[in-house]
Amino acid sequence: MGLIRLARRNLAGSSFRSWVVFFCAALMAGFVIGGTLVIRGADSSLRLALERLGADILVIPAGNEARIESALLMGVPAHFWMPASVADQIAAVPGVVAASPQLYLATLRGATCCSLPEMFLIAYDPATDFTLRPWLEQNLEGELRLMEAVGGNHVYIPSGQDNILIYGSAVDLVGTLEQTGAGLDQSMFLTFETANRIARLSYTLAVKPLEIPPDSISSVLVKVAPDADVHQVAQQIAAAIPGVAPMEATNLFKEQRLQLLGLLRSIVVLLGITWLLAMALIALVFSMAVNERRREIGVMRALGATRLAVLQSLLWEAVLLALAGGVVGIAIASLATFLFRDLIVGLMGVPFLLPSLSGVLALGLAGLALVLASVVVAALFPTLRISLQDPAVSMRE
Amino acid sequence: MIELQDVSKTYSIAKGRSVPAVQGVTLQVERGEFLVITGRSGSGKTTLLNLVAGLARPTSGRVLLDGVEIWKLPDAEQSRLRNEKIGFVFQFPSLMPSLTALENVLLPTLFAAAKSDTKAQAGARERAVQLMDEVGLSDKLDAYPRQLSAGQQQRVVIARSLINRPELLLADEPTSDLDEQTEQEIMATFQAIHARTGVTVLLVTHSTQLIVFGTRALRMQGGQIVAADG
Repeated sequence: MGLIRLARRNLAGSSFRSWVVFFCAALMAGFVIGGTLVIRGADSSLRLALERLGADILVIPAGNEARIESALLMGVPAHFWMPASVADQIAAVPGVVAASPQLYLATLRGATCCSLPEMFLIAYDPATDFTLRPWLEQNLEGELRLMEAVGGNHVYIPSGQDNILIYGSAVDLVGTLEQTGAGLDQSMFLTFETANRIARLSYTLAVKPLEIPPDSISSVLVKVAPDADVHQVAQQIAAAIPGVAPMEATNLFKEQRLQLLGLLRSIVVLLGITWLLAMALIALVFSMAVNERRREIGVMRALGATRLAVLQSLLWEAVLLALAGGVVGIAIASLATFLFRDLIVGLMGVPFLLPSLSGVLALGLAGLALVLASVVVAALFPTLRISLQDPAVSMRE
Repeated sequence: MIELQDVSKTYSIAKGRSVPAVQGVTLQVERGEFLVITGRSGSGKTTLLNLVAGLARPTSGRVLLDGVEIWKLPDAEQSRLRNEKIGFVFQFPSLMPSLTALENVLLPTLFAAAKSDTKAQAGARERAVQLMDEVGLSDKLDAYPRQLSAGQQQRVVIARSLINRPELLLADEPTSDLDEQTEQEIMATFQAIHARTGVTVLLVTHSTQLIVFGTRALRMQGGQIVAADG
């Protein structure tokens, strides 16, 4: 029998204390892992959504700023239009090296002519596009052909079908983009030509036609010269073209980021309070436990246990409980974050991307180490105090 | 084997007050003796035993075990000395409630300075079983302390005290909670162990009737040894 086995047997003999410490460790671990998964996931999601946008400035009709953010982040379809000539006007602004127009469309809900309901469709101009092109060249070795599309990570071909039906037209899904955790995962990308063809055919194939106003676009993605100041270029666009809102990429999702920061602060405060209370409770429980077991500890010393052996034996109990509680807390928090992801996204108003399994494992190990250290620190003072006592003092009533 | 030189022990209690438990005791116990120390409650018997075992630090004076002053040794050496040379039988129930009787007997081997290998562990287990047999509890190896009577628990404690083949056996009121018949049985066990192994026994008790089991008897009063008893 070793000290670890002795610790295990002692734990089995004092179930109340064991459950309290186990629960505290599970709570601490669960809170820290759950909070970190959500906050880090939301941060990753916002960052990846910006990367996917791939532009320095997004120009849309003024007054639609919140709607485009909602569309990009949550996948809520947005419809707004501005004259197609805006793209040329923007291209002429000094400092702009590329300006590519896009159309924002959406599939119908509850209509047999659309196999995926209320999906955000983004049509781009292959002649000017600079955001999707690198991905297409790397993954598809060329442009999208007519009636072809690439989808976000969560876009799939319905079972039993070979393609996706959009307003009655069959569109081939030829590629899937990497996951962002944002609304772009539920969006489809197709060319202007495909969008216009679907719109034309929709008058005969769909229950409701897809209307694209003539000579209209929804947005313009702008790439700024490396030596130009993005903010200044945005101001110049706003001054040169009335009725448009140039949104700098770095300012996109500002509200969501502030919300995230607020959430982070709340989580840190709650975590801090939980942590302190749990540590105090563990210290109290261990203090009570070692007081109850003073005589037992005195006997161990009399039988030849060194101060260090007594300390190790008691700390092993803390370590075993921290490990058990920590693992359970981490498992429950990870599972709950995964299962209730949609609910959390709905409550927060910000999407989040769950890390890979190895990422979750690494985070779990870090959380476990933190909980282990905290429980040991909380248990250290009372156990150290009793282990330093003379055995005769420990054995006295 | 044991030498106490003008040893005193004072316990501090609340508000700066202190109580002398042992006062100026000088005592020598030879190897192989069975010394019974009697005295009323509060006479300092238990404190004297704790001083001998190095469980309590003397306020003044010296405690020597085989010529070595215990309190001058570092903690690890003190612990090794207690583990290897001294066996304890306490007045109170001292078995670990979460361990079986056999595991309790084996407990001191867990604290042995030299980490025992598998062979040594098997040897220790064999000896523990044998000791349990010697105290008449071979059928209670897997019983937990709560499943044993007070007398049976004390026998397990005696078996535990002998597991490391100690040179000195210290017993503090080992029969205080037992009925007369069990008391006689336990004392007979001590006597038999002493006779068979030649271990030095230092036993303290309030009962003067038990001095017949020893080879020498002393009486304590007010923290001092006042007379040779019997």
